[in-house]
Parts: sequence; structure tokens; C-alpha cells
Amino acid sequence: MSVINYAAKAINFKVVYYGPGVAGKTANLQYVHKSLPDANKGNMISLATGDDRTLFFDFLPVSAVTVRGFETKFQLYTVPGQVYYNMTRKLVLRGVDGVVFVADSQYDRLKDNVESLRNLEENLKEYDYDIDKMPWVLQYNKRDLPNVAPRDYMEFMLNKRARRVPSFEAVAVEGKGVYETLNTVSRMILMSEFGAEQEVRT
Amino acid sequence: MSAHDVAIHEVDAAKIDALLTRFLDDSSATAALLIDRSGQPLTTVGPSRTLDTVSIAALAAGAFSSTGALARLLGETEFSVLFHQGAKENMHVSTVDEQAILLVIFNDQTTVGMVRLFAKEASRAIGDILAEARKRPRKTGGLAAPISADELRPSFPNKRA
Repeated sequence: MSVINYAAKAINFKVVYYGPGVAGKTANLQYVHKSLPDANKGNMISLATGDDRTLFFDFLPVSAVTVRGFETKFQLYTVPGQVYYNMTRKLVLRGVDGVVFVADSQYDRLKDNVESLRNLEENLKEYDYDIDKMPWVLQYNKRDLPNVAPRDYMEFMLNKRARRVPSFEAVAVEGKGVYETLNTVSRMILMSEFGAEQEVRT
Repeated sequence: MSAHDVAIHEVDAAKIDALLTRFLDDSSATAALLIDRSGQPLTTVGPSRTLDTVSIAALAAGAFSSTGALARLLGETEFSVLFHQGAKENMHVSTVDEQAILLVIFNDQTTVGMVRLFAKEASRAIGDILAEARKRPRKTGGLAAPISADELRPSFPNKRA
């Protein structure tokens, strides 16, 4: 949910990285945190279990362009991917402005991706959000692994929709595709909030 | 635009700041943060030291929402107050309205009872201001006119790229 603060000259947006467990959502935030200059980022918080699985969320505030004198700030969140943490996933989605769906490209995780995407749609519906009307992008992560499905196959499984969304191949731990994904979703959010044309070109 | 979107105009910010400043005087608390339930800080008054208000807002909203989920498991609508006691600093989080919460940081200069009493009063007044604020147009001045695609090209400065 965007907050325009005229007194602070800032516009805040919330971006949630969603996807099945161990797909690389936290890895995306960790790479952004490690590579952004200090002036553009705040502290990263990870509420994780002892074995580094996200328990509640990771959080990283970042800032980008200035729009008509207003600083645009994006608060990046991840959700826990495991199926049984659905209650906390739902809580993190409250007030979301845009979503990055991080899919695990390995063949044996394809079913988990499809289930997680369906779960995202259901959870958004509980807040009266329609995934087909909001800014979101797909990231096919772990492209460096040997047993990955071809991109076309990933598209067929996850992006065969009335409104296809931008998709990116990534190796998040190495930073490949991380900024392409973030720049695109944040641009889509800005366009949907302020754009002359409501449709986003990529 | 979703139903949750909010804009804080200068006039509303000034009113809220004045109210929270008076609240800090009355309650002898150290700092007060008005936070949107999605985790965004709306305004902060009185941090006597550098507080990471962005992180505090995200974590407090998370804690408050998970407490709300716990309440619903017990058949309650929500737990309207959350209190954390530390060795020196304490935290009191309470409901303002359906979209906002008020977080108060205080030490042994006051008591949780005083904070609770005045927070309740301040929250009611802030709720009225926020209700007014939601009736105003969200985009005014430079933001009112549509913005061209070229102006909206965020690029995060990746220093490793």
C-alpha cells in the first residue's frame, strides 16, 4: 500500500518476494543489501529459524529515483516459503503494492512453484487484490543448476495467463537477474500509481 | 490504487505531530511512532536518540499483526494493546484505527498505566485526523498530473554492476 507523505516528501511502497521454500527469495534481498550503496538502503532484518529458513519475513528498505521532488522508497519483504507457514505469509501481504514471484527452476520443484503461485492468488484475494490487476513479475531462479526446466517450459507452467507478466532468468546468489527483476517491478509499481498510461511497457 | 492507500498532507502531519508532542508531555514517554499496519512509518515524534524507525515500524506491524492472528484463534477480534518490558526501555503498541497503530517507547520516568491512559486519548484524536486525511485527494501539486514513463524509470545503483 503506497503511502504518500507530503511532509517528509517521500512515497513508500511495499514489495513482497513470494515463492516456494528455498527458491531464493532471501538470496535476492541479501544480494541487494550487499550491493547497494549505503545511501540507498537501510538495515536488513531477517526473522529466520536456526537453520536459516525464513520464519516470518526478511525486510530491507531501499530507495530509488526522485519523482517530482519526492523520494521513492521501496520496502522489500520476503515470506516464508514452506506450505505450513501460510498464516504468516498472509500477514506479510497486507498492503502490498507489487510482487516478485521467485520460482525454483529445477524440474523437481515445478509442482511447488505452481502451488505457491496459486496460494499467492488466494491470499491476495483475501485482501481483495486481483493478481491480474496488480504489478508483479516472475523470476526463474537457480538457472546455473544442471536439472533446470527450459525457460519456455517455465513460461508455460507459470506465465500462461490472460495478462502475461515480465519474467527474468536469475542466479540470485551471484546477483544475476536480481536488479533486472527489482528495477522492473518497481517501475511497474510507479507506472500503476502515477503513469500517464496505466499499462506498463517493459 | 487500493483501498489501503494513504496520503499524509502537511496539514495533517502538523496536527498529528502537535498531538503526539502533547501526548509525550502528558505521559512522560520518550518517543511515539504512528505506523501503518502494513509496516510503513507514518510519523515519528521525539526520538531522543537515533532510532531506526523504518525497521521498528516493520517489526512492530509484524508483531501486532501476528498478535491479532493469535487473538482470532482465541475468538477475539484482536488484542488492542501489546506491551514489551525491557530492563530500561519499554514499548507499548496500541490500536489507532483499522489501518494504523501507535507505538510508544518509554522508560522508568513513567508507568505503563500513564502511557496507556494518554495513548488511548491520543489515538482517538489521531484516528479522527486520519479519517479526515483519507477524504482528501491523494495526489496534489506536482503529483496530481500524470507522469511520463521516462520520469518513472527507477534504477537502483548497483555498485557491483
